[in-house]
Amino acid sequence: MDLPLFRHNRRDRSVAFKEYRSEGGFEALKRAITGMTPAEVQQTVIDSGLRGRGGAGFPTGKKWSFVPRDLPGPRWIICNCDEMEPGTYKDRVLLEHNPYSLIEGMTLACYALGVRHGFIFIRKGYEQAAENLARAIDEAKKEGFLGERILGSEHSIDIDLHLSAGRYICGEETALINALEGKRPNPRQKPPFPAVKGLWAGPTVVNNVETLANIPGIVVRGAAWFKGLSMNPEGAGSKLFCVSGSVKDRACVELPIGIPLADIIDGPCGGMRLGKRFKACIPGGASTQFLTAEHLKVPMDYDPVAKAGSRLGSGGIIVFDQDHCLVEATLNLITFFARESCGWCTPCREGLPYVKEILARIEAGYGKEDDIDILREHIKYLNYSFCALAPGAMAPLDGLLRHFEDEVREHIVKKKCPLKK
Amino acid sequence: MISEELKKSLAERVAGAITPREATVDVMKELQAHYGWLTDEAVGEAASLLGLSPLQVEELATFYEMIYRRPVGKKVIHVCDSISCWCADCDGIIAHLKKRLGVELGGTTADGMYTLLPCACMGRCGDSPAMSVGGTPYGHLTPHLVDEILEKERRA
Amino acid sequence: MPKLIIDDIPVEVPPGTSVLEAARSVGITIPHFCYHPALAIAAACRLCAVKLLDGPVKGIQMSCSLPAQDGMVVSTTDPDALKMRSLVIEWLMLNHPHDCPVCDEGGECLLQDFTIAGGHSRRRYVGKKRTFQNQYLGERIHHEMNRCIECYRCVRFYQEYAGGTDFGVTGSAGRVYFGRFAEGALESPFSGNLVDICPTGVFTDKTGRFRARYWDYEFAPAVCQHCSVGCNTSPQNFQRELIKIVARRNDQVNGWFICDRGRFDKEYLNSPQRPRDPEIGGAPGEYRLALEAAANRISEFCLQNGAASLAFVGSGRLSLEGCLVLAELARVVGAPFCYFTESAAAQGSLAAVRLLNEQNAARVRDIEKAECIALFELDLMEEGAMLSLAIRKASLAGAQVFRVGGAREGEKHPLPFRYQEVATVDEVPFEGGSKGVVICGAGGKSPELLSYLASSGAKLVMLQPGPNAFGAALVSLERKGATLSDLVESGQIKAVVCFEADLPPWLLERVEVLACADWKRGGLTEKASVLLPTTTWVESNGTSINYEGRAQRFLRSRPAGLPLKGLDPKYYSSETEAVALHPPRVHRNYIPGGAEREAWRVMADLMLELGGEPVNEPLTGRWGKLRDLDPEGEGVRIYDLVSAQDLS
Ligand SMILES: Cc1cc2nc3c(=O)[nH]c(=O)nc-3n(C[C@H](O)[C@H](O)[C@H](O)COP(=O)(O)O)c2cc1C
Ligand code: SF4
Ligand code: FES
Repeated sequence: MDLPLFRHNRRDRSVAFKEYRSEGGFEALKRAITGMTPAEVQQTVIDSGLRGRGGAGFPTGKKWSFVPRDLPGPRWIICNCDEMEPGTYKDRVLLEHNPYSLIEGMTLACYALGVRHGFIFIRKGYEQAAENLARAIDEAKKEGFLGERILGSEHSIDIDLHLSAGRYICGEETALINALEGKRPNPRQKPPFPAVKGLWAGPTVVNNVETLANIPGIVVRGAAWFKGLSMNPEGAGSKLFCVSGSVKDRACVELPIGIPLADIIDGPCGGMRLGKRFKACIPGGASTQFLTAEHLKVPMDYDPVAKAGSRLGSGGIIVFDQDHCLVEATLNLITFFARESCGWCTPCREGLPYVKEILARIEAGYGKEDDIDILREHIKYLNYSFCALAPGAMAPLDGLLRHFEDEVREHIVKKKCPLKK
Repeated sequence: MISEELKKSLAERVAGAITPREATVDVMKELQAHYGWLTDEAVGEAASLLGLSPLQVEELATFYEMIYRRPVGKKVIHVCDSISCWCADCDGIIAHLKKRLGVELGGTTADGMYTLLPCACMGRCGDSPAMSVGGTPYGHLTPHLVDEILEKERRA
Repeated sequence: MPKLIIDDIPVEVPPGTSVLEAARSVGITIPHFCYHPALAIAAACRLCAVKLLDGPVKGIQMSCSLPAQDGMVVSTTDPDALKMRSLVIEWLMLNHPHDCPVCDEGGECLLQDFTIAGGHSRRRYVGKKRTFQNQYLGERIHHEMNRCIECYRCVRFYQEYAGGTDFGVTGSAGRVYFGRFAEGALESPFSGNLVDICPTGVFTDKTGRFRARYWDYEFAPAVCQHCSVGCNTSPQNFQRELIKIVARRNDQVNGWFICDRGRFDKEYLNSPQRPRDPEIGGAPGEYRLALEAAANRISEFCLQNGAASLAFVGSGRLSLEGCLVLAELARVVGAPFCYFTESAAAQGSLAAVRLLNEQNAARVRDIEKAECIALFELDLMEEGAMLSLAIRKASLAGAQVFRVGGAREGEKHPLPFRYQEVATVDEVPFEGGSKGVVICGAGGKSPELLSYLASSGAKLVMLQPGPNAFGAALVSLERKGATLSDLVESGQIKAVVCFEADLPPWLLERVEVLACADWKRGGLTEKASVLLPTTTWVESNGTSINYEGRAQRFLRSRPAGLPLKGLDPKYYSSETEAVALHPPRVHRNYIPGGAEREAWRVMADLMLELGGEPVNEPLTGRWGKLRDLDPEGEGVRIYDLVSAQDLS
C-alpha cells in the first residue's frame, strides 16, 4: 500500500534531506515551478478531493479558491501546527520524522496562491518538530527550493516559524491569526473570512500540517492517484490516525481513508489491551462524539463518520474500555475545554464551568434528575457561541447522553459512580 | 536586569518582525528563560523592547499557559491531565508526584527545585501518561520511572 | 435598502444596518450587553439572540452582528430565542454577586433590566462563585470586579476608542480580568467613560457613590461649560447637590462620551465658598438692597466721571442670553461694554468668527473623515480634549496627522493618536484642501495668522477661549463691543461692572469695581463694592455657541440654593438654641442661600433699577430664532442665522 506521508520515515530519527531528495522529494516542487502554472497546481488540488486534516474537513482546493486573485498587497499562508486537541499527536509524529513534505507542500501552496511569505505556527512542547523544520528550511534554501528565486525562476518564497506558548484556542484559525499578530488570541468575527481578510488584513489561507504535507504527492502523482488511495469510493487520500487509550499498541499510523474503525484498532494497534473490552471511542480528537461498539464497522472517512453521529475530526482516536466511567471521562474533557476557553463569549466562558460542575456532582453521587435537562440545554445552546470551541466541547457530552444515558442515570439513582470500586 | 547582549538580540528579533507585536511571545519566552519566570521587571523590559505598555504585555503574558507570571522552581513539571493521559491513570501519577515532592498542584518544593503544574494535552497521547520536566518531555510514566526522572533532572 | 420583517412589522433600513438596530428603529429593544453603538461589534455576550424564521439565513443568530438582508423574517419572541437569552442571563448570573442593595449601579444597571427581560429568575447552579481582587484605580473610579459580566465594553472603549494603554484585559477563560498592570490612577483623560459604558457596577463614580439612586436624581439636558467643544452632559442632582455628571449623546458634538474634566471637575458647583448671598461693602445683604446699592454706585460714578469712563464687562463664560442683555444694559447707561478683557484673545476670537462659515467650519464628522489633519500650536487635550477622539478615529482610518510647532508648555496628556511633527504648516501636504482639517486655538492668535491658516483650503477648527466665547465674539461684532485692555490702556476707563468676567491682575489693579455678579469668588469679587451671586449652568437655562458655531440650549437641573448636605444647622435648627436639634426642625418656605440668579436676570433687574425697560426675553432680533432650540436635539449651526458680514 502507498503511504505518501510516512514513506520516507526512518525508525527512530528524522529523515535526512539527502534521503528525502533521493526518494523523490522536491520533485513536485520542481515540476510545478518549471512546468505548471499556479492555477494548474490549484486545479490539481481541487481535483484531488483533498479535505482539510485539521478537524473541520473543508475541501482544501475550495478554500484556496476563496482567495481573491487580484487584491493588491501581501497575502499569506499559515500552517497550523497548534495541535492541542486532546488525543491528537499526528502532526508531531509527522514532523519529527519528516519536516520536508510540509516545507515542500507549503512552498507549493505559496506558489499556487501567489504568496511570498508563509508562517508555520507551532505549539509549545513541539520543540523537536520546530528544530526539524528550521533545519529543513535552511537546507531547502541552500538547495534553491526556498528563498529568493526558487530554482532560478522569478518566484521567491519564504517560510518562517512562529513558536507559541500554549493555548488550545490558538488552533482556531482566526485566533491563530490574532496570536501570530501578537494580539490576544480571541477568535475573530466571520465574515470576513481569513481568505479575504486575515493576517494583517491580507488574504490568508490557514491549513493543517497534514493537509499541506499531502500536496507534493498530489502534484507529482496526480489527483486520480490521490483519490485511489482511499478505501471509501467517495473519499480521497490516506489519513494519519493517532490512537490512544486502551489499545495494546498506541500508534500513529498512516492508513487509507475509509478504513473501518475496527481495522485500525485490531490492525496496527493490535486490538484491546490485555483483559479489556471495547466500550466506546472518541474517533477524531476530544471535540467529537463517542462512538460505540455498534459503530466499529464505520469507514473512517468524513461523511460516514458524520452519518454515525460523530466526526472524523483530526483522526485522534481515544479508546475506552469496560472499566472506564464515561461520566468521568466526559468530565475530564469538559474540564479541559473550560480551562482552554478563551473567555470571549458567555456560553463558553460560563456554560462550560456550569456543565463541569454538574458532571462533577453526578460523578460524586450528588446528581439530580433535573441535571440531565440542564446538560441537554447546554448541548443545544452552546452551539450559539462565538467560535467552534464550545460546540466542540459539547460533542462528547452529546455522545454521552445519546449512547450512555443509562450510565449517567445510574450515577444519579445509585448516588455514586457505579464503576468506582 | 538583562545583559546588553540579550537586549541586543531581542531588539534584533523585534526589528526583524513584520510588526513588533509579532515578536511578543518570543521576547517573553526569552526573558522567562533568563529570569526563570516572567517577573514584573521582565514585563517592563518586554514592553519597552516591543513599544507596548506593561499592561499590553500582561494581556498576552497572562493568556498563555507556558508563561509564568509567578515565581517557579528551577524546573517546572507539567503533568498532562487531559483525556488520553486520564485513560492511562494520570491521576495516579499526579498523586505520586504530589507525595514525592511534598507539594500540591501549583506548589514549589521546599528546596526550590520543582514546581508542579497540571497542563493541557501535550500531544504525546500515544506515550501517555506524559509529563515534561524543565521542557524535556517524558512518556509511559510509572511511579518508579517518575522517581528516576526526578532524580536525574535534579542532578542535571 | 434591505426590507425585512421583525415580529410581523415590516422594516426597511439602510444597507449595513444590523438586525438589532433595525429592530430598535421600530421600537423593539433586543436585550444586549456587548453591543454599543459607538464601539465595533464584539458579538461576545450572545444575549441578542433572535430566531430567523425565513429568508437568506435561518435559525438562532446574534442580531448585533447580523446585517439586515432582504427577505429576512425575524422573531425576537420565538421560544428558542427566549430560551437562549434566558440561558445567557443565567450564565452571567452564575458568578454575579447578589449585591444590588449596596451597588451604586442599582436602578441604572443593564444587568438588572435584562435579567428581568431575559426571564431568568430561579437559581439552578449550586457551585461556588468565583471572586476577584479589586484594584485601586485612583480617586475617581471604583473597581468591583466581581460584578463583571465580561462584555469587554470597557477595554474596547479604553484601548480601541480612546487610545489608552494602561488598562485592559488579562487572563483567559473564566479568569479574564479587566484592570491595570499595577494599582494606580487610570491615565486616560477619558477614563470616566468607563462608568457610563459598563453595563453593571464594575466601574462606578467614586466621587458620587452611595448618595442617591437613579430615580432620586434631578436631571436636565446640559452643555459642558469647561471648554468650547460644548459636549452634552446630564448632571445628576440630589437635594441641590450635584452628585455626578454623565455623558449625553449628541452625534454632532461628542458622540456618547465626555472627557474627565467635564465629568469630574464639579466641586465648584457645590462649593460652600460659592457666593450665595449678595454682599454690600463686604457684608451680606438682601438682593433688593444690593441691587439698589449697585445702581446707586453706577449712577453716582457716571455723574462724577461720565458714563464713558465705566465699562460693563462680560466674558466667554457668559451665556448668549447674558451677552445680549449686557449690551442692552450698557446702552441704558450709555457706557461701553466688553466681552474680552485682553486684546490678543479678543482679536483671535473675533477673527475666527469672521473667518468661519457654514462651508469651512469643520464638523466633528469632517474631522473623523479627514485624510489629513494639522494641529497648529495648541494644547489639544486642554483646549478641546474630545476632538482628539475624532482625530484618533480619522487616524485609525488612515489619515495623516501633523503637529505643527511642537508641544505646548505644560501639556499633561499625550495625544491618543499617531502624528508627525513638522515645523511649519506649509509642510503639511493638504491635497487641494479637500478632506483636510486644520485645528488651532483661536484665542491669542493674530488675525493674519488665522487667515493664513484658513487659506490652506482645509476645513477649520478654531477652538475658543471659553464655552461661549464664539457667541460672545458674535455679539461683540453685532453690538460693537470693545476690549477692556484697550479701553484701560487708553486711559478712558476708571471703573467696571463685571458679569462672570475674569480680569487679569494687571487690569484689576487699574480699575475700580463698582459691582460684580458671579458664581465664583476671585480677585474681582473681593474688590467689588457690591457682589451679586449668579447661578451656575446647573441652575440656569441658557444657550452657548461652541467652536464650530453650534448653538446649544441647556436647562436648569436644580433650583438655586445651598445643598442640603453640609447645610449649616442654623438653617434647620431653632435659632434660639445653641446646638442643632433633631427633631424638631424649623421649617422655612425659602431655600437657604437661594438668592443666586442667572446673570442675564441680574442685568435685567439692574437695568430696571437704572430706569431701563423690563427684559422678559433675552433672545431678540435675529437671535429670536434660537428661542425654540430643542435642548434634547443636536443644536443648530448659526451660520444661517447670522453671518459675520451682516454683523459688522
Ligand atoms: C478550538 C479549535 C481548535 C483548533 N485547533 C486546531 C489545531 O490545533 N490544528 C489544526 O490544524 N486545526 C485546528 N482547528 C481547525 C482550524 O480552525 C482550521 O479549520 C484548520 O487549521 C484548517 O486547516 P485544514 O483546512 O487544513 O484542516 C481548530 C479549530 C477550533 C475551533
Ligand atoms: S466559544 Fe467563545 S469563549 Fe469559547 S473559545 Fe470560542 S470565542 Fe472563546
Ligand atoms: S449584543 Fe450581540 S452578542 Fe452581545
